[in-house]
Amino acid sequence: MNDKIYLVAQREWLENVRTKAFWIGLLIMPVILVAAMVLPTLLSKTKDARAYAVIDNSGWLDEAVQTRAFASDLAIMLDRLGFDGKPWPEGLDELAALRTEFVDQPDRGDFARQSTGVDPAPSEPRLGAAQDLAESIRRWWDSLEPDTARDLDRRLSKAQFRQVPASVESRETLNEKLGDDQIFAYIAIEADPASSDDPASYVSKNLTDNDLENWYRRHATAAIRDRRMELRDVDPELATYLQGEFRLDRSKLSDSGTAESVSMNDRLRQWAPVGFVYLLWLSVFTVSQMLLSNTIEEKSNRLMEVLLSSISPLQLMLGKILGIAATGITMVGTWVICLIGAIIVLPIIFSGGAVGVDFSFLLSEPRYLISFLVYFVLGYLLYAAILVAIGSVCNTIKEAQNLQSPLVIVLMIPLLLMIPIGQDPNGTMAVVLSYFPPTTPFVMMNRAAGDIAWWEYAITTLLLVASVFFATVAAAKIFRIGVLMTGKPPNIREMIRWVRAPVGLIPERREPAEASDGGGQS
Amino acid sequence: MQPAIEIAGVTKRFGKNVAVNALDLSIPAGEIYGFLGPNGAGKTTTIRMIMSILYPDEGDLHVLGHRDTEAVKDRLGYLPEEKGLYKKMTAGEILVYFGRLKGLPRGEAKRRAKDLLERYGLGDRHDVRCEALSKGMGQKVQILGTIIHEPELVILDEPFSGLDPVNIELMRDLILDLKRRGMTVIFSTHIMQQAEQLCDRIFLINRGQKVLDGTLEEIKGGFESGIHLDYDGNGARIREIDGIDRINDSGKQAELYLDPETDPQAVLRALTERVTIRRFDVRAPSLHEIFVQSVGGQVDE
Repeated sequence: MNDKIYLVAQREWLENVRTKAFWIGLLIMPVILVAAMVLPTLLSKTKDARAYAVIDNSGWLDEAVQTRAFASDLAIMLDRLGFDGKPWPEGLDELAALRTEFVDQPDRGDFARQSTGVDPAPSEPRLGAAQDLAESIRRWWDSLEPDTARDLDRRLSKAQFRQVPASVESRETLNEKLGDDQIFAYIAIEADPASSDDPASYVSKNLTDNDLENWYRRHATAAIRDRRMELRDVDPELATYLQGEFRLDRSKLSDSGTAESVSMNDRLRQWAPVGFVYLLWLSVFTVSQMLLSNTIEEKSNRLMEVLLSSISPLQLMLGKILGIAATGITMVGTWVICLIGAIIVLPIIFSGGAVGVDFSFLLSEPRYLISFLVYFVLGYLLYAAILVAIGSVCNTIKEAQNLQSPLVIVLMIPLLLMIPIGQDPNGTMAVVLSYFPPTTPFVMMNRAAGDIAWWEYAITTLLLVASVFFATVAAAKIFRIGVLMTGKPPNIREMIRWVRAPVGLIPERREPAEASDGGGQS
Repeated sequence: MQPAIEIAGVTKRFGKNVAVNALDLSIPAGEIYGFLGPNGAGKTTTIRMIMSILYPDEGDLHVLGHRDTEAVKDRLGYLPEEKGLYKKMTAGEILVYFGRLKGLPRGEAKRRAKDLLERYGLGDRHDVRCEALSKGMGQKVQILGTIIHEPELVILDEPFSGLDPVNIELMRDLILDLKRRGMTVIFSTHIMQQAEQLCDRIFLINRGQKVLDGTLEEIKGGFESGIHLDYDGNGARIREIDGIDRINDSGKQAELYLDPETDPQAVLRALTERVTIRRFDVRAPSLHEIFVQSVGGQVDE
């Protein structure tokens, strides 16, 4: 008996892995994955630093903006360079000195602003030394080329924007340069903004890319505020105090009960399940549809009777379900292997942390990948049982689509609730849907980031396995009558009657009275 | 010798419709057995019960001596009326698959598939996908799939339907070949001529009831002889002759059944005056005549 199930399954697998659709499905996911991991990096690498010019009639604003830009770049350099495989700028001993000597500074951003003179320095003698160091770093920074800056850190303003001198040029010549794409934008400051309300102008051919505009505006606003305080004789320290922002450190309560700061990786970990739910849904849906269309094809190709003369309907059904399961496992298994491979290999190829998105937590926390595979198998088996029964009573895909429409509606629930459940993985809705077997696989996958108790895993999985069992038994009863039917498909009530008819899985010598082979006999 | 199939009092209902009613039938081994009957008579239902695709509501059914027909599935070969192939599989692959489903080991199935395709002129189609085969070739592959495991009993449901004369010839040879190799062959057909040429015994069923069964000679012996006539001329004029009870006129050939008191010689004289006779003989009725006589007027269509 088992040999024949295996034979059917093997044929089913072979037939499906030979189709083009299978290979497209198999390859598309790794391609998208690698693209998602590498493209952001590649894009920003190829994106040129945007050149801009500034006509500054105020006489001070652009200089103040540059100083502030330097201060924030300095904070980045103090923070990042030399760590995590980031390169160290050649011959810049001052930076090393600054970092080693002032390692005790509590906030590198504050320290950078104080040592560059953006913020007033507290009366600490050591800061004079820091300011000297910062000054010589500034000289290096002023002549820093975008390419070099990008190699150091993409976030440096010098890596993103490049100022071209424009002091003597009129707006007409700048308009020409804009027209020739020599510059990306220019900013014209006509009046001193500290004393006037007249707006300055920002001119560009591309107004959708507003990185430059925002960056300049941010620094200019801060500079103008300082300037206005100064003009009204506000004490600089008071000014800093008044302008202090509301500081919010985002952190997540960890298992040990201590709050940890939230990194990019934590956010990724929070949202990775949503990606997996989508993949899971896609694969369960496509693979079980494959089963449906194969069953109908076998029926419309008049193969059922030939097969049933060699094997029992139960063997045929189980063989088909398992064969398509093998096809699906081949596909998602390949995806998972590609994912693991990409996580390990890509950082080696693009050495130096050039991978835009870091998925390495998937390896250290295997519950994501394990959930994905287990819920794929269980979810598929549940839907396979239902769809193989539907397929067995239909003669065309169209009939099947009508019959399966309630099922598709149920399937839409986890897809539509993907984001809300991801935000609140232990909310009432998420918990309730975890105990509803048709949505269990998706919702439990969705909740993976939300530290679910083991007993919840146990109960939901038990419920799911039980429904897989009952669905398969019911499907077998429908299947063995349905496959020989040729007429109009029965309605749900008729099928329920078949399911409740007192026949075993291995047919005995009785047929339910409702059975009909639809006039196929002659 | 044990009969291949023993059916006793088998009834099969579909809802209110009785498809097969209290059927008794014994099919001896090693012979060619024809299942005849109009559409909807119960031929396919009977065959499906023999193949344990359907199960009788009442009665007893033994196939190759077993009541549990699942146990003998590997010893049966079945070509259903509606036959198909997996379009994407090659002829060779599909034969191997059918063979293995019947329990052949892989290597043996491969060897036999190759042999069979060679023997029936499809050697060069071994690696051709079924969707690329012509209809006749497809049917050949199907029947080879039915016999690849050398079954003891082969059941062919309407094997001749949709075949051209060349392929009908091939199918007939194949059936005779199976008999020579000791298999029991059951086939159903509408075409009486084929049944007459091939069958050792026939079984005629109508509206779920057995009408006739037995050897061709036995059955024909139970019917009156008739005049078989080949002629040229106007067939309507034959009908003018007195003393003729029924006539099956096919235009160039006719079967005449006379009133009991009519002398065939008188009819011959009357015929020569009306049409040109090319052949005239008095012999047992054709199966077609028996079919029409037995079933006539009560076919469901």
